[in-house]
Amino acid sequence: MRIALSVLVTSTLLGAGVYITAVLDRLAGARVAGRRPLLATELIEPAARAAALLVQRRTTTERPDDAAWALAPALLMAAAAVALASVPLGPDLAAAPVADGLVLYGAAISMVLVAVFLHGWSPNSPFPLLGAYRFAAQGLSFPIPFILTLISAGLAAESLAVGDIVRSQHGLWNLVRQPLGLPVFLVTGWGLAFWGPLALPDAADLAGGTTAEASGGAALAWRVGQHAVLVAVAAMGAAAFLGGWHGPLLPGPVWTILKTVAVLAVLVAGGHQVARVRIERFVLLAWVVLIPLALVDVFASGALAL
Amino acid sequence: MVLSLIAGLAARSAAPVFPVIGRGARDAVARLRLDPRIELVDSPRRAAVLLVAGGLGERLIEATRRVHDQLPHPRATLHWALGADERGQHGKLPGEPIAAADPVDAIRAAWAALARGELASEPDLGEDVDPAPWRGIGPYGQGGKGMTGGVPYGRPLAGRAPDRDGLELDQLPLRLGPLLPILPPGLELSVLLQGDVVQEATLGPNPYETDGSTTAGPVDAGPVGIAELELARARHHLRWVAEALRLAGRPALGLRALALAEAEPERSASSVAVLARRIERDLGLRLSNTGVGVIDAERADGLGPVARAAGADIDARLDDPAYRALGFRPVLHADGDVRARWRQRMGEALQALDLAARAGGATVTGDVVEWPRGPQPRVGRAPAAPLLELVPGVIVGQEWGVAVAIICSLDLDLEEAALTSVARA
Repeated sequence: MRIALSVLVTSTLLGAGVYITAVLDRLAGARVAGRRPLLATELIEPAARAAALLVQRRTTTERPDDAAWALAPALLMAAAAVALASVPLGPDLAAAPVADGLVLYGAAISMVLVAVFLHGWSPNSPFPLLGAYRFAAQGLSFPIPFILTLISAGLAAESLAVGDIVRSQHGLWNLVRQPLGLPVFLVTGWGLAFWGPLALPDAADLAGGTTAEASGGAALAWRVGQHAVLVAVAAMGAAAFLGGWHGPLLPGPVWTILKTVAVLAVLVAGGHQVARVRIERFVLLAWVVLIPLALVDVFASGALAL
Repeated sequence: MVLSLIAGLAARSAAPVFPVIGRGARDAVARLRLDPRIELVDSPRRAAVLLVAGGLGERLIEATRRVHDQLPHPRATLHWALGADERGQHGKLPGEPIAAADPVDAIRAAWAALARGELASEPDLGEDVDPAPWRGIGPYGQGGKGMTGGVPYGRPLAGRAPDRDGLELDQLPLRLGPLLPILPPGLELSVLLQGDVVQEATLGPNPYETDGSTTAGPVDAGPVGIAELELARARHHLRWVAEALRLAGRPALGLRALALAEAEPERSASSVAVLARRIERDLGLRLSNTGVGVIDAERADGLGPVARAAGADIDARLDDPAYRALGFRPVLHADGDVRARWRQRMGEALQALDLAARAGGATVTGDVVEWPRGPQPRVGRAPAAPLLELVPGVIVGQEWGVAVAIICSLDLDLEEAALTSVARA
C-alpha cells in the first residue's frame, strides 16, 4: 500500500514537474526571442508537441541495438524518479524515506551517464555516437563538484538523510551558510540534465546528437526523461540549499514544491542566457574552477560543523 | 477516443518540417523559422512534412530521395517552387506543389490531415534492401571466416592510425551533406574522424553547379545605391548571426536576430545594438569561440569580413568617393578566430545601419562592390567561391563541434559560389 502510494505520488510530481519545465522553457524562449508569449498557447503547446510525437511512427536504423535503445529512455526516467523520491516533501513525508538519502540520490543520478551513453551508442549511427562520447567526457567532469556541494550540505547537517539536511536549515538556509553551494550545484545540474549551455550530447551541432535518430514515442520518452532529470536536480536544490519545507504560513509540502519550481525557473531561464560551452572548455572549467570551488565549500562547511 | 484526442491535439501542434533548400530558397526557408505554426527540425527523423523549396539539380534530387525515406510515417512531401524551374523534379519526387506564396497554410493543412489519418503516408522511394546482406558464415554473418579482409557486413572496418596524441585509434570515414542542416545548404564533406576529431576532410562537388541554367552573377551592371547596399549588408549579417546562434545553442536569441533581419532593421538600430551586446556578453560563446579557427590576414586575402576579422585593412568601400564622403572607416578585429568573425559581422551590421541612415541617394561608382561576403567585381568571381576552398584546411585537426563552428563562421553560400563559377566558365 505504502509502496503503491509512493510510486503514485512520485510519478504525479515528476509528471507535473516535467510539464511545468516544458512550459517554463517555452515562456523563457519566447521572452529571449522577443515574442510576447500567449499563456494559453504556451500551456497547451507541450501537450500538442507530445501528441505530435505520439502520432509519428518509430523508425529504425541499420542494425541498432534495439534492447539498449528502448532501455535508455526508461533508465533515464527511472533514475530521475528514484532521485526525486529521495527528496522529502515535508517532515516525515518522503516517497523513499531512507536514512542515507544523499547516497540513494547519488546512486540514481550516476545512472544518467549510463542512459545517455546507451542512447547514443545503440542507434549505430555516427552523430548519436559522437554525442555519447561527449557525455562520457562531460560525465568525468560535472559529478564531482555536483556531489561535493551536496556533501557540504550533509556536513552541516551531520547526516546523509535529506530530511536532516532540511531540518538543519531551520532559521538559516544553506544558500546563506554555504554561498558557494547553490551556484556550483546549478551549473553542474545543467551538466547532469544536459541542459542549456551543457546540452552537449544532444547538441544542435550534432543535428540532435544522441536524439538524431530517435523518432515518435521514443523521442518523446527521451525528452520527458531529460526534463525529469532537471526536475530531480531542482527538487534537490530546493531541499539542500533553500530550506525545503521551511517557510511561513503555507504548509511544508507547498513550500517544497514552490521552491522546486523556483529553482526550475532559474535553471530553465538561465539555460536560455548562455550558449553551449564546448566540451573541451567545459572539462577545463570543471576541473580548474568548479571542483576547487566545491572543495572550498566542503572545507568551509566542515570547519563550521566542527 | 483517446487516439482521436491525441490526433486532434497533434494537429494543433507546430507542424514538424524538414526543409530541402534548392536554388533561391535559402532566405525564404530561414524566414519560416519565425512562424510559430511550423517548426523546422534538425533531423528528418522528427519531421512529418518534407518541404522541397526552390529548384533542385540531379544531385540534390538524389539526396532528397534518400532523406525522404528517413522521415517516419505518416509523411508527406510538398513542393514550394519559389519561382524556380522545377521541371526536372517531377516524376523523381512524390508530393504536391504549393500554390500559395506563403507555404505555411499548406504545410499546416498537410500536417493536420496526416495527424488525423486523412492523408495517406507516402511509401518509401528506395527499395528496402539490406546493403550488407547476411551471408550465413562467420560470427557476424559476413560470409567468411575471420574478418574477410576487414569487410564484415560488406563495410570496411574502421582503420587505425596515430591520433594527435600519438595513440593508435580507429578512424571512421563519413560522408556528410548536402542536406545536413548543420552545414551550409548543399555543402558535401567527406571526413575521416578519430573520436570526434577531424583527421582528413575533402569537399564534395557543389550540387548547385550541376546544371548551367543560371549564368547571371549576383551583381548586375549599373549604379548601386549605398543605402540599399548597406541595408542588404545589415540584413545579411543578421541572418547569418541568427543561424550561427541556432547552431551555438541559443535558438531563441537567434529568432530575435532573424526577426530584426526580416523586419526593418533601419528602424531598430538600437535593438541591433542590444543584440550585439548580448552576444558579446555571452560567456558560452566567449569560452567556445576564442582562439579557434584562426585564419590569418594573408590566407583570408580578399575575403571581406573574414580578412578584416584578422586585422586586414582591406575594403572596396575605402576606394569609393561616396563612402569616403561619408567618413567610412572599416570595422577591424585582430584575432582572426571564430569569435573575431562573430564580432566583425555584428560590428559591420551596426555600421551598415549607420551608413544606410546617412547615405541619402549616394551610389557606388567603382568597378568593385564590397558585398557582405567580400569584394565582388562587376564581372568575375564572388568571394563565396574562395571561402568554400578554405574549408578542408581549417577544420582538419579540430573536434567536430569546433569544425561546425568554424564552417559556420565562414558564412558559406554554395549557390553563390556556383553562380559565379558558371559565369566565369
